[in-house]
Amino acid sequence: MKTGLAISVTMHAALLGFGIFSLSTPRAFEVADVEALPVDIVPVESITQVQEGDRQAPAERRPAPRPTLRTDEVENAQKVGEAETDLKSPPTPDAKPKPVERAAEPPPAPAPRPQPVETAAEEAQVAEAEPVPATERQPEPQPRQEVTPDPTDKPMVAENAEAESVTLPRTAPVPQARPQPPRAQTAKAPERRQAEAETPAPRQQARGEKKDDELFDQVAALLNKERASGGGARRSTGEAALGGTRTTAGEQLTQSEMDALRGQIQRCWNVPAGAIDAANLKVSLRFRLDPSGAVEGNPEIISGGDGSGVARAAAESARRAILQCAPYNLPTEKYSAWADVIVHFDPSDMF
Amino acid sequence: MESVALTAPGGELSIWALFWQAGWVVKLVMIGLLGASIWTWAIIVDKTLAYARMRVALNRFEQVFWSGQSLEELYRSLSERKTTGMGSIFVAAMREWKKSFEKGARSPLGLQTRVDKAMDLALAREMERLEGKLGFLASIGSSAPFIGLFGTVVGIMTSFQAIAGSKTTNLAVVAPGIAEALLATAMGLLAAIPAVIAYNKLSSDAAKLGARMEGFADEFSAILSRQIDEKVSSRQRAEEYA
Repeated sequence: MKTGLAISVTMHAALLGFGIFSLSTPRAFEVADVEALPVDIVPVESITQVQEGDRQAPAERRPAPRPTLRTDEVENAQKVGEAETDLKSPPTPDAKPKPVERAAEPPPAPAPRPQPVETAAEEAQVAEAEPVPATERQPEPQPRQEVTPDPTDKPMVAENAEAESVTLPRTAPVPQARPQPPRAQTAKAPERRQAEAETPAPRQQARGEKKDDELFDQVAALLNKERASGGGARRSTGEAALGGTRTTAGEQLTQSEMDALRGQIQRCWNVPAGAIDAANLKVSLRFRLDPSGAVEGNPEIISGGDGSGVARAAAESARRAILQCAPYNLPTEKYSAWADVIVHFDPSDMF
Repeated sequence: MESVALTAPGGELSIWALFWQAGWVVKLVMIGLLGASIWTWAIIVDKTLAYARMRVALNRFEQVFWSGQSLEELYRSLSERKTTGMGSIFVAAMREWKKSFEKGARSPLGLQTRVDKAMDLALAREMERLEGKLGFLASIGSSAPFIGLFGTVVGIMTSFQAIAGSKTTNLAVVAPGIAEALLATAMGLLAAIPAVIAYNKLSSDAAKLGARMEGFADEFSAILSRQIDEKVSSRQRAEEYA
């Protein structure tokens, strides 16, 4: 018995020692992240990835939207357009208002002509008419008083006046009165008044152009008001080139959203049971979804589904699955990413 | 393709580490099973050697017995030393035979019965020596898996209690405790499997040796019975002549 015990103890000790040194921590599993789902979705990025540009413009290397007339930058604006505030809605078409505004332009143009011919009588009229604006009238008497010192400078002005006409010095105060209403705020500074009084003649000449500028501004303001009813506020300077209405590159379905869609399709998929060789039953379908998630039209079989009756049955079962499970619940803001979907059905993993 | 390695949070999983991480009940069970395994193997080694020796002894005795040597001479050479197996049966029978004749026993039937009884006794003693401790192998073979299972159940119970305490069901938290608990079952099976196999083998070996000895005892009993009959008839003939 002693020999048996001795042999047993040594054997166990040897085995344990071997176990401690050789059967140490087993190697950790290398777990590959394998997707075992037989339904696969291909995001159609070539279609969803669109750069912003102009739809009518010829294709260039880089798509660019139509250049804007306005150049003032608006912070955080995203849509290209002429508006002052960034709006998502498209700009209202400005074809109609334009002819009306152009027709308004000519009448003011002849109006400035007769004015230089006007006499002091008109001055009085203007002076009388001026009380109507009310609030800003008080500074006006002052320029009148300041006009009186003018004679001291007369010798200098007289040289110019002699060349044109004698009446000019008399009419000199007239233009001063005219431009004042719009400049009422700045008129309060007395020093400026003096400087303006020094050169009365050039003022007269500039008057007609000034009027045109004002009109242009008014027209532009009118135009702006109409444009503000829609369109973005981001300005574009480059030449227009072919592209979509907005850039959609960033909109891709995340893995979990793709999984959700896959799960929704897979739930309705009745795999044709008892198929002879499942490896040949791979089917790819392409279909369009509308923003509500419903299938538009009939899913189109891209590959598979031809040949034996079993393959055709598999393709039809995939098509039925897509139609049966609609509408699909997907994030609306990424519609462009899932508007066009290609789904691969591969039942070979399931057998 | 991304690969994720599942490793325990800062613990090695060697057998030694698993043993030390276990609770005291599981440790006790494992130590007990290790002891049972050692004892099982000691018995297996001992019995295998003993049976081999016995087989050699039986062969040698049969060779000597059937060589035509005088039974008296054989008895004289064997009675002086320690005998095993057939030798001890032969010595027991011859001792009873001698005692009866020296004392001048009259009844031949009584002599036959006493010799058979002596041989049965010797055979039973030999069989007991052969089969002794095989019962331990049998009980280890049948109970060690259960003992190991008990350790596993206790270990899993405590490890689930620990998991409930840690409030996570991460596999990395669950796995080490269960691996440690399963070590107890592994040790139970490690002890039980050799025990069962060895029990079946050794008990059939013992049965074979026992049958061989029984056969010899029957044969020797027949020889002695013939001798008794011869002696009785010769004595009766002597009495008739007298």
